[in-house]
Amino acid sequence: MSAPSCHADPPGVAPRAGAPTIALVGRPNSGKSSLYNRLTGGDARVGNYPGITVDVLEASVELPSGARATIADLPGVYSIEATVTRETDDAVARAFLDRLRAPGAPPFVVVQVIDATRLALGLRLTRELARAKLPLLLALTHEDVLAREGFALDTGALSDAVGVPVVLLSARSRGARPKLLAAADDRLREREVAPASAGFDPAALARRVRTELAASPSAARRRTLTERLDAVLLQPVFGPIAFVSLMALLFAAVFLVADPVSSVLDRIILHTRAWLSDVLGSGAVASFVADGVLAGAGTVLAFMPQIVILTVALELLDPSGYLARGAFLVDRLLRVLGLSGRSFLPLLMGHACAVPAISATRVVRDPRERLTTILVLPLTACAARLPTYALVLAAFFSETSAFFRAAIFVGLYFAGIFASLVASWVLRRTATKGRGLPLVLEMPAYRLPQASVVLRKGWQATRRFARDVGTTIVVVSSVLWVLLSVQMPGAAKAGEEPSIETSIAGVIGRSVEPLTRPAGFDWTIDVGLIGSFGAREVMVATLGVVHGIEGAEDDMTPLADKLREAKRPDGTPVYGARTGLALLAFFVIACQCMSTVAAIRRETSSWRWPAVVLGYTYAVGYAAAVAVYQVSGLFGL
Amino acid sequence: MQRSLTDAAVGRAVRIVSADVDPDVASWLDAVGLHEGERVIVLRSAAFGGPLHVRTGSGGEFAVGREIAARLEVRDDAEEP
Repeated sequence: MSAPSCHADPPGVAPRAGAPTIALVGRPNSGKSSLYNRLTGGDARVGNYPGITVDVLEASVELPSGARATIADLPGVYSIEATVTRETDDAVARAFLDRLRAPGAPPFVVVQVIDATRLALGLRLTRELARAKLPLLLALTHEDVLAREGFALDTGALSDAVGVPVVLLSARSRGARPKLLAAADDRLREREVAPASAGFDPAALARRVRTELAASPSAARRRTLTERLDAVLLQPVFGPIAFVSLMALLFAAVFLVADPVSSVLDRIILHTRAWLSDVLGSGAVASFVADGVLAGAGTVLAFMPQIVILTVALELLDPSGYLARGAFLVDRLLRVLGLSGRSFLPLLMGHACAVPAISATRVVRDPRERLTTILVLPLTACAARLPTYALVLAAFFSETSAFFRAAIFVGLYFAGIFASLVASWVLRRTATKGRGLPLVLEMPAYRLPQASVVLRKGWQATRRFARDVGTTIVVVSSVLWVLLSVQMPGAAKAGEEPSIETSIAGVIGRSVEPLTRPAGFDWTIDVGLIGSFGAREVMVATLGVVHGIEGAEDDMTPLADKLREAKRPDGTPVYGARTGLALLAFFVIACQCMSTVAAIRRETSSWRWPAVVLGYTYAVGYAAAVAVYQVSGLFGL
Repeated sequence: MQRSLTDAAVGRAVRIVSADVDPDVASWLDAVGLHEGERVIVLRSAAFGGPLHVRTGSGGEFAVGREIAARLEVRDDAEEP
C-alpha cells in the first residue's frame, strides 16, 4: 500500500511471462480459495508484483493437452469497472487483467468463480467481464450445497445466454480439478473466442436457469440454515455475548498453547547457543553468532506459535461466514475510532501480538481503514509488553505496595487502548484522511471451512513470516549485537578493559543523555533502550549488562537493588519512581519491536509507513516520558 | 412513500429508488448488489445505531452502515414477499 490517493495509478502488476495464464476471478466468499486449493493441490507461491500488497497466489499446473499453465488466484472483487479508490482489491484485479491482455502476452483465460447458490450476484460481475471482452469461463461452485438445498441449474441455458462455457462443480470433490482444467484447456486452445454477451439481466437470468426440485424436509431445513443460525448468533443479547466469548477463547488459546510451545522453542535455541559456544569458543565470532544471529532467530521462532494459531483462527472465522457477523455486531464500537467492524479482529489480535494482527488487516477491504489499523496496531498492549512492564515495575517500584503496582499495570493496558484511540482519531483526520468505501459488508451463507485450505493458509503464513519478517529480525539483531559489543574507536583509554560503556551503543547513549535527561533517563537507560530497540523484553538483560549483573532477565532482584542504590555524587538517588513511570510511558507508546516494523514493511510494501510508525511512536513516546517525569516531579514523587 | 433505508421497518420489503452518492460509489454499490430497483428487506439492525442487516432480491445479504443506508432512497414494495 503506498500513499493513499484517489488519483494515483493503480500499482503496476505484471503476470509471469511464458506459460498461458488461468486467472481465477470472483466475488469475496465465492469459493475461489477452495477451488484454487483443489486445482493446485495447495501448491502456491506468492507472485512477485511490484507495489502489490494483496497476494496474488500462483501455481503451475499441467493441462489435459500436456501443456503447462499458470493458475493465478486474484483477490476477491465485486467490480472491475467501479473503483472508488485505486488501491482496493478491485483495482488490483483490474490492473492484473489489463496486463494479461497486453500485446505480446501469452494466451489466457479468465475463470470467474461464482457461488451457485447466489448466482444473481455473481452474474453482475460476469456482465462486467463480458463488457471488458475477456475470454471467459464460468465456474459455478458449491454444487453440493445447491443440491442439498433442493435446486438444480441449467448450465446449458446459462452458457447459451452468456455465450461462454459454464461448468458446475464442488471444490470439495476430486472431480472438480479435471473438469475445470479440461474446460480451461479447451478455452485456451480456441483460435477465435466469440465475445460473451453482456446484454442480460442478472437476476432474471439467474431465476430462469434455476429449477426447484421437489423440496424435501431436509432441503427446506438446509435452505433456512443461515437464517436460523443468524436468529441465534445475531440475537441482540446472546449474539454479542457469544462473539466476545469466542474471542476470549481465541485469546486464551494464544496464551495457553502458544506460550508453552514458545518456551520449548526457546529452550532449543538456548541449547543450540550452548552447543555453539562449545564449538566456537568464547571469542567475538561465537558471541556474534550466539547473541546476534541466534538471538534473532530465537525471536522469530518465539513468534511462530502465535502466528500459526491466529492465522488458523482467522482462516476458520472468515470462510465460515462468522467473521462478517462479528464485524456486524461490533461495528458501532469501532466507528468511535473512525474504523469499521472489519478492523475488530486485527485490533483484538494486536493485544496478543501486533505481527500476525498486521497480516490479518487483509480482511479490511477499505485501503485507508486498513492502513489506519496497521498504523495504530503497534500501540496495543501486546503480550511482549507485559513481562517488560512487570520487570520495570519490579526494578523501580519494588518498595511500593502490590496494590499500587497492580493499579499501574491495569492503567498501562488502558493507556495502550487510549493511545490507539487517539492515534486512530488523528490519523483519520490527517495521513489516512479521505473518502473510503462505504460500509457494505457481504454476509455470506454459513459454510464449513475446508481443513486443507485452512492448513495451507496456516503453512503459508508461517513461511511468509519466516522469510519476510524473519530475515529483518535476524539482520537487526545482528546489527544491535555490533552496537553493543564493538568498541567505539578511541572511546576506551589505553590499558582499559573493553566494556559496554565504551561500546558504540555506550558512546551513543552518553551523547544522547542530555536529550533524555528531561525524561529522567541517564546513559545506562539509553543503552538499555538501544539494546531493546529490536524487542522490548531485552531491556532488562541489557540494563543488567550495563550494571555488570549477569542473568538479570531471570532474577530481577540484584538489578533492582543496584538501581535503587545507585547514587549521584551528591548522594541523591539516580533512579526513582519518576524514572520508572517515565520509562513505562515510553514503553507504552514507542514501537520497540523490529518484528512489527518488518511486518508493516511487508504489508504496505514500502519503508514509508514503518518509518512513519517509528517516527510518531518515538516522538510521542519521548514527549510522554518527559511529561510524566516532569509532572510527577511537581507532585513530589 | 419515499424515505431512506434507515427508516424501513424490519421485515417489510422495500425497493431502492435512488442513491444519493458519488457516481463512483453508486457504481460500486451497483456491482455489490445494492442498485436502483433492487428489492431489499431489513432483517435486523445492530445495537446502538450499528449497521442494518439486509437481504436483497438477488439473494445477497449485507451489513449496510447507517451513513450509506441514509443515502439510499426507498419506497414500499407492492409485491408480496
